[in-house]
Amino acid sequence: MLRDHVKLAFKNLRHRLSRSLLTLLGIAIGIMAIISLLALGEGMQQAVTGELSSLSDVIIVSTGGGGFSSFGGGGSASSGEYFTQRDIAGIERLQGIKEVSTQLSGSGLAEYNGKTTVLSLTGMEVSVMKLQYASQNLEAGGFLNEGEQNNIMIGNSIAHDTFDADISVGGRIKINGQKFFVSGIFGKQGFGGSSSDSIVLMSSRDFQKLTGQSNISLIYVRVNNVNDAESIATNIQNTINGNHGKKDFATATTMTSILKTVQNIIGILQLVLVGIASIALVVASIGIMNTMLTSVMERTREIGIMKAIGATTRDIMSIFIIEGVLMSGVGGIIGIILGVFGSQALTLILGSFMSMGGGSSLQLVPIITITSVVLAITVSLIVGILSSLYPAWKAARMSPIEAVRYE
Amino acid sequence: MSKDVIVTQNVSKTYGKPPLQVFALRDTNLHIKQGDYIAIIGPSGSGKSTLMNLLGCLDKPTTGNIFIDGNDVSTLNENELARIRREKIGFIFQKYNLIPTLNALENVELSMGFAGVDSQTRTKKAKQLLELVELSKRLTHKPSELSGGEQQRVAIARALANNPSIILADEPTGNIDTKSGDNIMRILEDVNKKGETIIVVTHNMAIAQRAKRVLRIQDGEVQEEHA
Repeated sequence: MLRDHVKLAFKNLRHRLSRSLLTLLGIAIGIMAIISLLALGEGMQQAVTGELSSLSDVIIVSTGGGGFSSFGGGGSASSGEYFTQRDIAGIERLQGIKEVSTQLSGSGLAEYNGKTTVLSLTGMEVSVMKLQYASQNLEAGGFLNEGEQNNIMIGNSIAHDTFDADISVGGRIKINGQKFFVSGIFGKQGFGGSSSDSIVLMSSRDFQKLTGQSNISLIYVRVNNVNDAESIATNIQNTINGNHGKKDFATATTMTSILKTVQNIIGILQLVLVGIASIALVVASIGIMNTMLTSVMERTREIGIMKAIGATTRDIMSIFIIEGVLMSGVGGIIGIILGVFGSQALTLILGSFMSMGGGSSLQLVPIITITSVVLAITVSLIVGILSSLYPAWKAARMSPIEAVRYE
Repeated sequence: MSKDVIVTQNVSKTYGKPPLQVFALRDTNLHIKQGDYIAIIGPSGSGKSTLMNLLGCLDKPTTGNIFIDGNDVSTLNENELARIRREKIGFIFQKYNLIPTLNALENVELSMGFAGVDSQTRTKKAKQLLELVELSKRLTHKPSELSGGEQQRVAIARALANNPSIILADEPTGNIDTKSGDNIMRILEDVNKKGETIIVVTHNMAIAQRAKRVLRIQDGEVQEEHA
């Protein structure tokens, strides 16, 4: 019985092929949007998770109550307050600490090609440097090596914009009268965090030798056990706040909590995007309803005949609902296929957007999960049923006499 | 010798409410026997179609009872009527009323499908019926590819598909040339000879005179024309 209904519905759709295809296209586009946005979101989640979870034993301690906001950028020493050696010693005394290193901030007078300017300088342990800037592309050269002296890494705009001439790897810059060799140049950051475009990065030792200062703007703490990170972070915060006699002098942030925050943000973003894509689906379902209502009108006579020769209300309902479901189902499957390509295209577009400015090495690969495919199919079937319910009911309610007489 | 297939008791059909009530059919009492061949005649607007719709279970009487094969159908609901229609009644319409998207074979199979007959049996039976109406070579033709006479013969095959007790034909030759019309009537008469009850609504006296009984409707009243 059902097979007959499917056959009938299919024949009807084929009979009105172009109309069916256009209606179906609406669903396909809606589903495509949902699938590709979900894939993109999932890809983002995984990329960020992969990136950050390799640093999951790291706690970042910054000054100020605002928390660590500019990941991949510099310190947040805007308050003009710095950590002290006492703070470092305090942290080192805590249980479960593997390693403590610091980021130093200061400024220096730099000279290149006859032009002199003031640059802000950042000093940190070479090992931390690699972790901190792992997600950044290098335009040229490489990271500093352990034990090297008088080598620096510079941001993209320092290399190209600050001085009259471009600086390349191996170039020499004088800072406070001391010669430094450029060993690496960062790629352009583009949007998302411009602070590393104007960074001058050197080892802590060089920094201290050069400036004679040790203004600690950030502290990197690595813990022995990732599971203890949260409680250690709290301890660190309490210790430093106690040292400075302020409630919110320091904020210690674990990578896990950053990870959670980022995942939440991406999740919300994804939800909003899918919500917007759903509007397309609503429009498409109105399209189905419209097509079906027209079809019911046109087939008034046919419906009457079917009823006269014995079709029940259920038969008629079923034929029309199957028509709707066939349209939305096929539309959904096409939408999923388009979504696979769509997400690739979207990634390429986004990728070229990011790499327009040098870009980060964060590899965005769209990930289409089984869940999203199942979701798409379910949603399209539900849309098909819901939007054909009213037309089907209208068709089934027709009186066979009226319908047969209808010209 | 044979039983009544259709009995109507004081059947009336009215439209509208008093005082604007219009009688389409008044106190009709009919007995139609198995194997009868009846012509219903009358001018347009006389109530022919109303009677036809009532006998075909497409409509319910306002008052009175209709019995088909002994079952009172005047109290049945939509779906029960649909069941009676597909089991007991075969319709033939003036405008053939085939489903345009289906070919001849599929059109004949359709009502068997609604009756739940399995597809093998269906196809076999439909082929036999189309052979009966001399359309074996047109099985896969769509209605638009068939002549009027051919379409009407497909319609006859469809009407016979579920072995109905009654064939109701509403102006079956109305849209067909005389020669094909004659052919259609001959097929119906052959079917009648095998014991099928045939009721033909027509205003063509030549067609009516071929029937065994003629019922004339005038202003909603049915009268037997002598025999």
